[in-house]
Amino acid sequence: MSAASKVSPRADFLSALAWIAFGLSVVAGAWRMDRMESQGATLYTAPGLVPGMLGAMMLFLGMLLAVRAMRAGGHRQFGASWALSPQARFAAPRVALTLGLGLAYAAGMVGHGGIPFWLATFTFVFVFLMVFDWPQRRAKGEGGKGILLALIYGGGTAFVVSYLFEYVFLVRLP
Amino acid sequence: MFDGLIAFGHSIGSFLTPQSLFYVFASSLVGLIIGALPGLTATMGLALMTTLTLKMPSSQALLVLVCTYVGAIYGGSRSAILLNIPGTPASAASCLDGYALARQGHAGRAMGIATSGSVLGTLIGMFFLALFTPLLGDLALKFGAYEFFWLTVFGVVISGTLTGDDPMKGWMAGFLGLFVATIGQEAIYAYERFNFGNRDLAGGIALVPALVGAFGFAELLVVMKERQVPVKINPFDSVIPRVRDVLRYWKTILRSGCIGTFIGIVPGVGEDVAAWTSYAAAKRASKEPETFGKGSIDGLMAAETGDNACVPGAVIPVLTLAVPGSAPAAVLMAAMLIHGVQPGPMIMIQSPQFVYDVVAMMLFATLGILFYGLTLTKLMIRVLQVPQTVIVPVILVLCTIGAFAIAGRLFDVWVMLAFGIIGFILRQLNYPMAPLVLGIVLGDLMEKNLRRGLVLSDGDLGPFLTRPISLVLWLAIVLIIALKFDAVRNLFSRARAAVLGR
Repeated sequence: MSAASKVSPRADFLSALAWIAFGLSVVAGAWRMDRMESQGATLYTAPGLVPGMLGAMMLFLGMLLAVRAMRAGGHRQFGASWALSPQARFAAPRVALTLGLGLAYAAGMVGHGGIPFWLATFTFVFVFLMVFDWPQRRAKGEGGKGILLALIYGGGTAFVVSYLFEYVFLVRLP
Repeated sequence: MFDGLIAFGHSIGSFLTPQSLFYVFASSLVGLIIGALPGLTATMGLALMTTLTLKMPSSQALLVLVCTYVGAIYGGSRSAILLNIPGTPASAASCLDGYALARQGHAGRAMGIATSGSVLGTLIGMFFLALFTPLLGDLALKFGAYEFFWLTVFGVVISGTLTGDDPMKGWMAGFLGLFVATIGQEAIYAYERFNFGNRDLAGGIALVPALVGAFGFAELLVVMKERQVPVKINPFDSVIPRVRDVLRYWKTILRSGCIGTFIGIVPGVGEDVAAWTSYAAAKRASKEPETFGKGSIDGLMAAETGDNACVPGAVIPVLTLAVPGSAPAAVLMAAMLIHGVQPGPMIMIQSPQFVYDVVAMMLFATLGILFYGLTLTKLMIRVLQVPQTVIVPVILVLCTIGAFAIAGRLFDVWVMLAFGIIGFILRQLNYPMAPLVLGIVLGDLMEKNLRRGLVLSDGDLGPFLTRPISLVLWLAIVLIIALKFDAVRNLFSRARAAVLGR
């Protein structure tokens, strides 16, 4: 198999192990499913047939990927440095913060209920801008303007989105 | 022939209302902006717009979605030319010559070429959409359970092979998508699979929340991961397309239009492959291949014609086989189902007018991009200068509403978040998203037809392997997979050399 992977053999090896574990779980889950023989099901109509086949395919391809990664030395690179590259050091906290704020908004404030949608949206957009935009503005001596803009963007987004969806597009909001 | 033209005329007439025209121009603009903003793709735009159009009449809703789709694929060229960043994956090929032209002070001309290429590409694709859909519809009537099973597998395999740079990972993503579609109650005994006692999960994973997550939330995480470069716009000349460019490169336009449409018809492959294939074909045919990548008008015209011709092409299998030709077309198909339109082999019998409605929608979408291509340059530059930190939270709010609004279930918001995280991790590990989406869309069709076929044949695999269309499909699948292995390729090379006596 030829491949021009941009990913390190170590990452490929780890993901291959995850695929193998996942494929095995799917096959096991499919095998343990009720065969519905009491309702006249045959092997061909058993509910676990297709998931079992797909699990087997993922398991097989996971094994192929593992072999390929091992040939590239992926399994021997665990001792190598796990230090983040400069780009990763920049990206990791940003992704973690975006993920955290996104989860707090979608799963917490909206998903858990209790807070009106517009207030949750205003809070999320405001906090997001304060986290990602405001530090740069403060460094440029525009801290006050940054807070004002975050308030305007947050309020504007909350109002426009709530109004448009509820009254123009007639979509029920969370 | 004349029946088709009359039906097409009726369709055009039905959209010539102030409200429809407003939708055309508004949704083309939305599509253009989504396509131009790096990181936001046509698939995400369509998934979000599906939510907005839930309460609209089906023809209007689909008009909005088609215009958004065409607009987004065209819009990607703007950031490709002005910033050297493809707005959508489909515009990656346009960066090579578009940005080179912009650096030479010809950004306006490059945008004009993108406009003429996109408009003509969509028109060529639209012509084939009108021509091929009835023909392919007739062929589709010959498809039974065996053929549909192989077609779905073929779609996932070819999508996995062509949409990333690592076919094995593409296939894995495709099989994961097919597996996701099996979660929840199965169709014959209503047996609940992989739901772990969760009542919401027993209903299955809804397509739109999963797509909004995989293409929306995941893309936002990718956008935030990258360092935003300060936007520096090169000075540009007139954006009005030049007739001379069109006349001089008419062969490129025709060739790329045909290639784009054909690639669109192939299940799950999509606009980016269409653009690159058209670009490569233009380079091979050119008398000046050395200019490609250095500001070749031929190259830019080929890429832009190819990717936009792919849009109507990708809709052809949606209408005739209920198998999407690209990831955005998968969302369009989901939207059709939500709006009560049942695409598939029976469409030319049950609702032929709908096919011509879609052709007319493409025509209006073309008018939309032509209008904005000629007028909206300054606004687009302003849009490109909006910081990501302002766009990302707004899109995330829309993703949340988009996931929730389809069924009014908070569970779908969780699905969106889960698929966003999974999609982000898979992207970081170089797994393409298009096969995953195609798998989720086609999973149900694959399973139903496999089990139906096995019941019909009483477990005999013969019909799966010997019926003519099935035979062609499974041989194609085996060949596509086998040719990706070095050992098989070497064997073929040796065999060819032996036959040719070298």
